[in-house]
Amino acid sequence: MNFIVNILSLGIPFSVALLIASLGEMFNQRAGVFNLGCEGIMAMGAFLGMLVPYSIGQGGPTSGMYNVLGLGLAMVVGALLGIFFAFVVVTFRAPQGIAGIGLQMFGVGTAGTLFRHFIGGTQSVPGIGNLPIPGLSKIPLIGPIFFSHNILVYLAFLFVPLAWYILFKTPWGLRVRAVGTNPRAADSIGIQVNRVRYQALAVGGALAGLAGAYLSLAQVKMFSDEIIAGRGFIAVALVYFGHWHPVKIMGGALLFSLAQALQLAIQGQGINFPYEFAVMLPYVMVIIVLAFSRESQLLGPTSLGKSFNREKRV
Amino acid sequence: MKKFLTILFCLALISGSLFAAGSNEAPAEEVDSNVVKVALIIENTIDDKGWCQAMHDGIIAAQKSLPGRIEYNYTEKMKPVDAGSAARQYVAQGYDIIIAHGAQYKNLIMEMAEEYPDVSFAFGTSAEVGPDNVFTYMPESEETGYLSGIIAGMTTKANVIGLVGPVDAGDAARYNRGFVLGVQAVNPKAKIMVAHSGSFSDFVKAGEVAQSQIRSGADVLTGSSQQALGALRAVADYPNEEIWWVGQDIAQIHINEGYKVIAASSYNYASVIEGLVAKLDAGVLGGEVIPLNFSNGGFVFEFNPALETMYAGEIEEKVNAAIDSFNAASGTINYTSVDYSEL
Repeated sequence: MNFIVNILSLGIPFSVALLIASLGEMFNQRAGVFNLGCEGIMAMGAFLGMLVPYSIGQGGPTSGMYNVLGLGLAMVVGALLGIFFAFVVVTFRAPQGIAGIGLQMFGVGTAGTLFRHFIGGTQSVPGIGNLPIPGLSKIPLIGPIFFSHNILVYLAFLFVPLAWYILFKTPWGLRVRAVGTNPRAADSIGIQVNRVRYQALAVGGALAGLAGAYLSLAQVKMFSDEIIAGRGFIAVALVYFGHWHPVKIMGGALLFSLAQALQLAIQGQGINFPYEFAVMLPYVMVIIVLAFSRESQLLGPTSLGKSFNREKRV
Repeated sequence: MKKFLTILFCLALISGSLFAAGSNEAPAEEVDSNVVKVALIIENTIDDKGWCQAMHDGIIAAQKSLPGRIEYNYTEKMKPVDAGSAARQYVAQGYDIIIAHGAQYKNLIMEMAEEYPDVSFAFGTSAEVGPDNVFTYMPESEETGYLSGIIAGMTTKANVIGLVGPVDAGDAARYNRGFVLGVQAVNPKAKIMVAHSGSFSDFVKAGEVAQSQIRSGADVLTGSSQQALGALRAVADYPNEEIWWVGQDIAQIHINEGYKVIAASSYNYASVIEGLVAKLDAGVLGGEVIPLNFSNGGFVFEFNPALETMYAGEIEEKVNAAIDSFNAASGTINYTSVDYSEL
């Protein structure tokens, strides 16, 4: 039983960075733009998230406030990078894939350069500690699995119903879905397609920045320029995996992370199983699920990846 | 206009990326013929508190021990696919030896060595004897692993020990197997949980491995390469609990998490560099494997003085006895006998 509790209690915090970044990417893609630069924005978020507490709040009595400032800075810069990306792919209608790869390289490279300039070598911060919920965290089995994590874990899972509500129950969510499905029809009823895409990319960027800051401030509490290590691309894949729906995306992030926790537990138990296969397990599971998804489920928003030109005839 | 701005944006991204990759190349200068020009190519950075920093520090130390003999330059963040252009620039600038620090550069070095037979190259870890102008080096890190294993085996109270490996290859594999033998020599009943992150540099994953092992009861952990910092950070997440770390890099003792590090070993590449300079002086450009071990000064070991109460006495005696035996003769640890599936 302890074995299972360990897997579940580790898998949940492991999933948070992927979950937050995927929800952000979902807003991007629902608006018709896929942002492969998610990895770069996460890298910038990870660096800026720890820069504030490292520079001015190193373990002091107000370090909690500096953590919040770090998270805020990561989100603001993430949103600005999202807007910058929108400027390139929405206003100038550059190919989204190429521009996204450029943003990824730019973000990772810039974060690494700034890190070397402002911090130097790998350093750690006290970061965000766990916040066991009084009473609930003491419940046998349930407590350690669900109620003994840091505050960002709880917030990340609250984002799921919030994202669902925003996407499916608010006028803005309807506009996002409209411009991602049929921008010409949306335009004909007065929705400003490009403005909505800018807004969606800003939200997506802010969440990607927050996801990066989660890694550097809450999960490992340190930064190096390889901290993201492909998680931004996994977040993009999880949006497809979750069929652009917040709850299914959460399921995908949890499946991936629980598989990760499971493979670590398998390795640790000395089960005679090649570790290379164990390390591959989470990725293989995602591929299997994608392979067995119906094609119609993987089509996504019908205008995904297509730029919108009001003057262009169809 | 839009096309122009798009092109401008692409150029900005490319220049930003190039700027971010960094470069430390210096213009070629006329130098004294007595000076050996050493170039280093690494995949990480010179301050990664791990693999790359160890070589950089070794070259700096060799510069001090051989005053005026070594001119040194380095290039960081070089993936194998990019390293060729850096290596060719060093050849063009007249460098005598180009060290590509990692087995991933093997193919590149072999090609370059054939193309430039008068230039000396080196890469490691590798136990293969290279062409006449290629040196290889191989840390016999089962020795440092054995020391860490003695400490872990005698420190653990839970009798559960965690080993966070990067991949099961090269010096990491030797360190891990030496560690297992060290634990078994002093505490055969201890359970050793071996897990690999699958990466030399992904310290987030290494942290996850360590978290998993700690939740499963491990109270002493170890690990090697840059990724190990993540595992050490996970150990430091338990500041008030008796959970400890034994390191494979002495720099770990002196960082914020050092209060969890009982002891650490490091590679002393200064001895390798000094040996390479001597061989180049003698006109030998390669064709040899240079081992690193305690007996040739290739390893150094330190206890953490702040934790003296933990190791003073029997642990210290056993570790010192092992170091004495390694100084007397290398190759005494039969690391290939370890089978993880039997742990």
